[in-house]
Amino acid sequence: MPPDPILSVRGLTKRFGGLTALHDLSFEVAAGEIFGVIGPNGAGKTTLFSCLVGAQAPTAGEVRFRGERMNGLSTNAVVRRGLARTHQIVRPFREMTVEENVSIGAHFGAGRRRGAEARRRVADVLERTGLARRARSLAGTLSIGDLKRLEIARALAAEPACLCLDEVMGGLNPSEIVSAMSLVRNIRDGGVTVLMIEHHVHAVAGVTDRILVLNFGEKIAEGPPRGVLSDPAVVTAYVGADDEEAAS
Amino acid sequence: MKRLPLAAAAVLAAFTLAAPLFLERGTLNDVWSLAFAVILASAWNILGGFAGQVSLGYSAFLGIGAYTTVLLSLAGVNPFWTLAPGAVVAALFSVLIGLPAFRLRGPYFTIATIGVGEAVRVVASSVSFTGGSSGLRMPAGSFDFTLNYEAMAALAVATVAISAAVTRSAFGHALAAIKQDIDAAEALGVGSTRFKLGAHALSAALVALAGSLYAINFQYIAPSSVFDFRLSLAIVLAPIVGGVGTVAGPVLGAVVFSTLQIKLLSVPALRDSYLFIYGGLLILVMLYEPKGLVGLARRLLARVRRPPVLPPEAARAA
Repeated sequence: MPPDPILSVRGLTKRFGGLTALHDLSFEVAAGEIFGVIGPNGAGKTTLFSCLVGAQAPTAGEVRFRGERMNGLSTNAVVRRGLARTHQIVRPFREMTVEENVSIGAHFGAGRRRGAEARRRVADVLERTGLARRARSLAGTLSIGDLKRLEIARALAAEPACLCLDEVMGGLNPSEIVSAMSLVRNIRDGGVTVLMIEHHVHAVAGVTDRILVLNFGEKIAEGPPRGVLSDPAVVTAYVGADDEEAAS
Repeated sequence: MKRLPLAAAAVLAAFTLAAPLFLERGTLNDVWSLAFAVILASAWNILGGFAGQVSLGYSAFLGIGAYTTVLLSLAGVNPFWTLAPGAVVAALFSVLIGLPAFRLRGPYFTIATIGVGEAVRVVASSVSFTGGSSGLRMPAGSFDFTLNYEAMAALAVATVAISAAVTRSAFGHALAAIKQDIDAAEALGVGSTRFKLGAHALSAALVALAGSLYAINFQYIAPSSVFDFRLSLAIVLAPIVGGVGTVAGPVLGAVVFSTLQIKLLSVPALRDSYLFIYGGLLILVMLYEPKGLVGLARRLLARVRRPPVLPPEAARAA
């Protein structure tokens, strides 16, 4: 367990009727870490993010961010306290320019910037995410790679202390993945703790300090990528159960 | 490019305010109706257009303004001093119904607002202090048309100016974000409920002010005139036909609608056909130009002005 957790999750459970999406999940993320959450489809990764930022109310358990209890806060209140997320399916404001999209984060996020200060923040974020050349384009006209960058740029403009990235590498080609990985490192080096959900196991292993593996809403492994990925339980969850091994 | 519409708006505003100097009473009456329609359409557009929350219950705010004015005037207050209280009561009421109604989204919110509007009408028709369904009359000798005209014209100019200011403000950007994707807006720290309540209260207050002036002008109000559902519908149709979510759209729509109504009402055979014509216009707009007359004008202008601009990539390649 990290000595000084920025985010701590205790006994988190989320049920949708009879379906348990998350079961008694506990973990902590240290400030300055890049922490990965992986798991097969339907393991509960996105539900976890929704519970962290108050988009969904957990059935049981507690989320603490910088020591403060987040349960029951609305999403905008959580974001203004410095815990932001991106969406797996990009959600740009299509009728705004890239610049305007990002300025929403600068205006209303944790920084609550106005005027020249906000414009500086927006320009800085666009530069860092490689979107400066598209600043005046309507968001609706961007390619999927740029839309993923915009999703990150907007959340960064909100000046989070901890940023939850939901599958920002999904649908990207190998060279885009490499630049996305360096962007994630760049974000962390800028002082932001990163929590990332990723399908792309190798990309996660290459960039994270620690990994949490979810399967059917439960933690099956946690630790540095190398050890976790060779854990038999993790291999079974990803590759399949004994009958398939017997068949091969 | 931005200068021209601004100058046109200033000239139009000055003309409207100075109209009593050179227009005769009959025409002035028509301009009064037009200003009234502009206020309703532009005010509704702040919530319905900028924030995308389509309400069909705005007669409630009009009626609250009108009833506050008449009731206070009957209690001996100078009608002029009844305007602000009417606006405040309407704004408070908008927050009261907004708190539960804004938990609903899209069409569900719209349906809830129909219910609120109708409930207010039924209550106003059945309690005694509002005069029930037979309505209330203003105290005698409390009316000066030119004064009323100036107030209505000034309010119309102010409403359009306020809505232009909203589009340039951080408040307006938040409303636009809420309209386009409320969850994404929340995820960037936009307190969507707070902003929706703010937009609702602002537009309700403006509509209530118009309602107060309406009551003073007609000297008589009843639930069937100021709390009518058809009124709520008419308030929505003008901005939609003109161009929802723009500053100029509701003004254009209101001009088209009040001109139509004035012309139609003067021909006895067509007197009851206005809803039919409104409906037809609405269908045409929905089918061919969802951004209304403003969208149509922009498309035509773009075609006339210059050949299509190449996107940056293509321009670089060329």
